[in-house]
Amino acid sequence: MRITSMVHRLGVAMIAGVMLTTPALADDETEYFIQAVLDEAEPYLNAPDQDTQFDGIRQLVDKYVDMRRVGLFTLGKYARRITPEQKQVYLPLFKEYATGIYQNSLSTYAGEKLKVTGSVDRSQRDIIVNSEIIDAAPGSQLDHMVVHWRVYRSRDGHLTIVDVGADNIWLAIEQLEQFTSIIANNGGPPAGIDALIADLKEQTADE
Amino acid sequence: MTIKIWTFAALLALTAGAAHAQIADAADAAAFAEELKNDAASDQDVANKDPWEGFNRKMFSVNNAIDGAVLVPAAKAYRATTHKKQRKGLRNLLANARTPAILINDLLQGEFKRAGETASRFVVNTTIGFGGMGDPAERMGIAQHSEDFGQTLAVWGVSSGPYLFMPLLGPSTIRGGVGSIGDTAMDPAIWIRTDAAKYLRYSRAGATGLALREPLIEPLQDIEDNSLDFYASIRSFYMQSRKREIANGRTNFDDLPDIGDFEEFDELE
Repeated sequence: MRITSMVHRLGVAMIAGVMLTTPALADDETEYFIQAVLDEAEPYLNAPDQDTQFDGIRQLVDKYVDMRRVGLFTLGKYARRITPEQKQVYLPLFKEYATGIYQNSLSTYAGEKLKVTGSVDRSQRDIIVNSEIIDAAPGSQLDHMVVHWRVYRSRDGHLTIVDVGADNIWLAIEQLEQFTSIIANNGGPPAGIDALIADLKEQTADE
Repeated sequence: MTIKIWTFAALLALTAGAAHAQIADAADAAAFAEELKNDAASDQDVANKDPWEGFNRKMFSVNNAIDGAVLVPAAKAYRATTHKKQRKGLRNLLANARTPAILINDLLQGEFKRAGETASRFVVNTTIGFGGMGDPAERMGIAQHSEDFGQTLAVWGVSSGPYLFMPLLGPSTIRGGVGSIGDTAMDPAIWIRTDAAKYLRYSRAGATGLALREPLIEPLQDIEDNSLDFYASIRSFYMQSRKREIANGRTNFDDLPDIGDFEEFDELE
């Protein structure tokens, strides 16, 4: 009886141990993933001219950011109400718009060095990797600024970036709030989504 | 003056009373837990936090008109006629003058370590920092932090109430608005009733406006250029950054929208 109880306890302890260690391993993988993206970004961010910076950021965004997922996320509760025709127009426009925002935001860190400092698992599939600006010029406002990366792990284990934030302010969340506000203020779907599409067209045409 | 304090006390009692009543009504623990969950859920839906959107949007455009016609040109002139170091000095000076109010709020929130930092900053910067023009405390490793009565109310559990945008005062919530009245009362200059003190208050208000607006000329223009709905952008940035300040910079990722919100799109084809 005693032995079975010990075996039982050992089993429980082992399961608990596995449960405790798995997320740590998962963390490592996502942290490496983001550090690799940052290393890849570094030469672009160090480029002296904005065109090279912007081109580099666009390439990395194409490669690592799941714009389709983010584009649907930013529609909030309206994501299920967009028509297939609207979606066909909306997604490429969103991608263009959001890429511009990434270019604009990330080029703020031009010439700076970002280093991964840790991560938080909200779940197995939803990981926030924190990075920090190191070696900034003394007295610079950017020194030790924290940049967060929200990483999504698909069912088959593929990692993509779905949002980026600075000091706890997130881009996709801000876009979600803009877009749902535009849709709601223009009579809800489908007209509200058409209004959003028109705004996106106008905005991306300026750039 | 008496009227001011009375209004403040009444408002405070009202908001605190409301928070208290909520808890009493939900004496049943399960119901209370449910209420908390609902609060968290509605927190995600910004629309629920901005029931006065129509009014706020009008105030927002009034603000932008004043901003474009008066504040931005004044801030640009201020930038053109002063040196970067002078502007930093003025920002330091104004920040140092706010330190007593920050200290009171640190204490009211039970943040004793931060209160110690605030008090040390005040002493160091007022003495060897030439009355607050310099910030030697920062170099000594005592970082500045902000704190106001709105944040204290939040720590005390007063819910934020609706989002409120006022011309010149910018984005806030009802709790933040009540909080600013509290902060005014914590300001030593408000209690001195002489012409000199009055002059000091007005000129300080003007200087604060300029000193705050000047470094924001480009960032705000940038947000405006890049957003489809400038009002909703500002509201979102405000709400997100406020949450962080109330948590005193302790990062908390719990109340982000769920990844489920991302995940369900796997099935959307």
